[in-house]
Amino acid sequence: MDELLQEFISETQETLEALAGEVVAWEINPADRDRLDAIFRFFHTVKGSCGFLNLPRFERLSHAAEDVLSDIRAGKRAADPATVSAVLAIMDRIGELTEAVAMGTALPNGNDDFLIGQLAEREVNAGDDADHRLTPVPAQPASRPTASQVAPRTIRLPLSLIDQLMNGVSDMVLARNELSRKLRERSADPELDSAFDRLSTCVADMRDVISKTRMQRVDRLFTAVPRMVRDLCRDLGKRIDLSLEGGDVEMDREMVEMVVDPLTHIVRNSVDHGIETPDRRRALGKPEVGQLSLTARQSGNQIVIEIRDDGAGIDTRRLVDKAISAGRLTPEAADRMSEAEKLDLIFQAGLSTAEQVTAVSGRGVGMDVVRANVERIGGLIALDNHPGKGLCITLRVPLTLTIIPGLTIQAGGLHFAIPRAAVVEILHDNNETLAIHEAGGARIATIRGVRHSMIDLEDVLGLEKPVQAIPRAIMVVRSSSGVPFAMGVSMVENHEELVIRPASPLIMASGVYAGMTLPDNGRPMLLLDAGGLALAAQLPNIIDDQAARAQDARADAQAHVEMVAALRFEEISGERRLLPLSLIERVEDLPADSFGCSGGRAFVRLEGRILPVANGLHRFDTDTVTALRLRDGVRDACYPVAAVFDIVDMPLVPDMVAAHGMVGGVALIDGEHLEVIDAFALFAGLPDEQIVERTSGRCLLADGDDGWTREILAPLLRQAGHEVVLGLAHDIVAGDGDVILCSMPGTTVAADLADRPILRLRATPRSAGPEDSSIYRYDRDALMAAISSARS
Amino acid sequence: MSQLYLFATLAGTRIAVETGEVEAVVKLTDISPVPGMAPHVAGLSALRSRVLTIIDPAALIRGMPTPSDQRGLAIIANIAGHSYGLMVDGVTDICAVMEGELPLRGQLDPAWVPFARGLVEDEHGPCLLVSLANFVDTGSVLVAA
Repeated sequence: MDELLQEFISETQETLEALAGEVVAWEINPADRDRLDAIFRFFHTVKGSCGFLNLPRFERLSHAAEDVLSDIRAGKRAADPATVSAVLAIMDRIGELTEAVAMGTALPNGNDDFLIGQLAEREVNAGDDADHRLTPVPAQPASRPTASQVAPRTIRLPLSLIDQLMNGVSDMVLARNELSRKLRERSADPELDSAFDRLSTCVADMRDVISKTRMQRVDRLFTAVPRMVRDLCRDLGKRIDLSLEGGDVEMDREMVEMVVDPLTHIVRNSVDHGIETPDRRRALGKPEVGQLSLTARQSGNQIVIEIRDDGAGIDTRRLVDKAISAGRLTPEAADRMSEAEKLDLIFQAGLSTAEQVTAVSGRGVGMDVVRANVERIGGLIALDNHPGKGLCITLRVPLTLTIIPGLTIQAGGLHFAIPRAAVVEILHDNNETLAIHEAGGARIATIRGVRHSMIDLEDVLGLEKPVQAIPRAIMVVRSSSGVPFAMGVSMVENHEELVIRPASPLIMASGVYAGMTLPDNGRPMLLLDAGGLALAAQLPNIIDDQAARAQDARADAQAHVEMVAALRFEEISGERRLLPLSLIERVEDLPADSFGCSGGRAFVRLEGRILPVANGLHRFDTDTVTALRLRDGVRDACYPVAAVFDIVDMPLVPDMVAAHGMVGGVALIDGEHLEVIDAFALFAGLPDEQIVERTSGRCLLADGDDGWTREILAPLLRQAGHEVVLGLAHDIVAGDGDVILCSMPGTTVAADLADRPILRLRATPRSAGPEDSSIYRYDRDALMAAISSARS
Repeated sequence: MSQLYLFATLAGTRIAVETGEVEAVVKLTDISPVPGMAPHVAGLSALRSRVLTIIDPAALIRGMPTPSDQRGLAIIANIAGHSYGLMVDGVTDICAVMEGELPLRGQLDPAWVPFARGLVEDEHGPCLLVSLANFVDTGSVLVAA
């Protein structure tokens, strides 16, 4: 009888778990006959079994639910949300009762009649108003294979049996290793070797298979999610489209159990705080239905679980405000924090961005607990926050609980292991960046300006510290919650993958160990718990903020030597100088004879304009001159140089400020002293009467829509320094100096613009006749000359 | 009602353990000490691929741990899902006792009080019946205190 009961309990619990998702799916698509059948079968089975096992409460509940479902099957009733809720409530109650029976405790008191009444009540209402909505659910006779048909055959095994099997295989591996050692000592015998190899392969295969028995599909992790999201949505009046992916990824059975709670919490948070209500979403221009997606995938020996929503994301500003008002953070410290550090505040205990505590989340159990849980199993949690757009939380957990990367260390003549994730850095105690001081018995290790509490592992564990010739190793150790501290050990030996098994409670009670491992040498080794060590040593748990401040000061100092890009060039007189790149419009080669001198001022003729030459008079030996075109935003100037070298970074303020003439100072670039041209002095030294501005008229291009005009003519004119207006708008006022250019034949110009000179361009090189005053459009010189003559 | 018992010597006293509690008796080899533990936790030892937590009950009873050169046999037991080895001075016999468990008589040494469950009599006279789990449980209480 007991056995039967046991079987009933485990079967019911398992089916319940699997069904929760089915019911929700069925609600979304009530026409899904397969799902309805599955749910119906569940209640039917429960009803049948519990009548036999004499469990009257089960029987009543399942009977009521079965009745309703059979009505739905017959099309007498619709699967409206209320009905589904009532069915779910009954399933929950059955789950509670099962739990109670399994534990052997008293059955929880609950009003079953109320639940059954809820079902019935709906029945009446549905009968009244919903006749027209009812469409009988069409039976789909085996149109697609149901889950039960394709499910592989399984048997139920106690976990202890599997553990025993695992142990057996482990023993076998050890025996194999010993045998292999013995064989190597003896003379080589090929026949024996090949037989042994076969054995080795078998053992390895077997170990793989046995390891798989511990694996479970991530599906199990996801089963409860649809139901939870549905219920939350109903409570909160939100609409969410949930997608689950990667359910077939497998991970360690125990790991699944460890991840359930953090995952549940994150999903709750997403639904409650992340995704907004439909109204709000509409106001924000988002689709009313929020997206929530859970994906799992395997990446190396890790399982990556992503929870992504398109909700509001985390408001870091509010987090910081909360932290400040809670006294956790000073406003100055908050200013120094990067966005990522601010986001990290979400992991601080007791901080939540929730405006108010809701029934769903924000009850003080926050992301700090989630992170602690994830890190306890050697996992990592990362946030990818897009304020206003959504949040993606990534959990990375090891494939199994049992294998972690670790460091083996020696202290007091004993060996210990420590998870690699807990170690920030390792240095020898003779390292120059490290200084160890003592103050009132407390030891302080200062590493690159950061002060850490310093302990020796031997002191914490009460071991003798043997004298050693080689320098001791100092590890900076960080637990998931605490502040990093420095820990001295004899030496760090190795880095390896450790198979961790739980230590007996007797040993765990000491608080400084996290587990144990059995390395190949057969001597058991203990895994240290970083947080436990800090606790045992009673280290203060205050972050050293000084270092961050010092870093800020350094950053400030660095800001003073802000770099700007500069052009390195050689003057015609031979000096090498620098000019801020932002001033230079372009570098061009100009004919030497375009440079001239008038009234003691140098100028250059450029495409019909006359530009001042910034660096005075020059005689050029060559036919062409390399010149820089400078522009301060309003005025152009030409700066002939001998050669242009490259672009370098120079300090915004020259290393030595020594202003004389156009030189503002000296900068040291790549070990070379270079004079920096003072841009202010350069433009201030230009003649104030505007040689250029004489041609201040505009070029009005009548055919602004024409491609050639827009793409070829306009850039050409602009390049020549003319202001260009595309198209002739109605309200355009043509001033003195404005020239109208028409590139299409027959373009007419409004009468009020007719007093301005009009240049007509033609597409053919040959003119149409003697009266044709138009200019061939690719005759640049003629065009430029015509524009300047039209203006004068 | 006949019951099988393992008879052993522990801290100079003859004890009996129900065989249901006993998994095996092994000769102890290497013990890796566990620093920072109560004196009765002698350390860890590997038994094939299993790791045993070795308990020195003599330390609980006489207040001083067994010197490492006198370590001999250990009774292996699975207590609450973990494997333990309890060091004993020697193991004498396994035999069935017709009378089974008898109530305690006389004034018991206070050191034994937490561990003794009753008496078992074999041909050599009465022995203290102990439960192995008590050595482990009491241990954790002591450490916590």
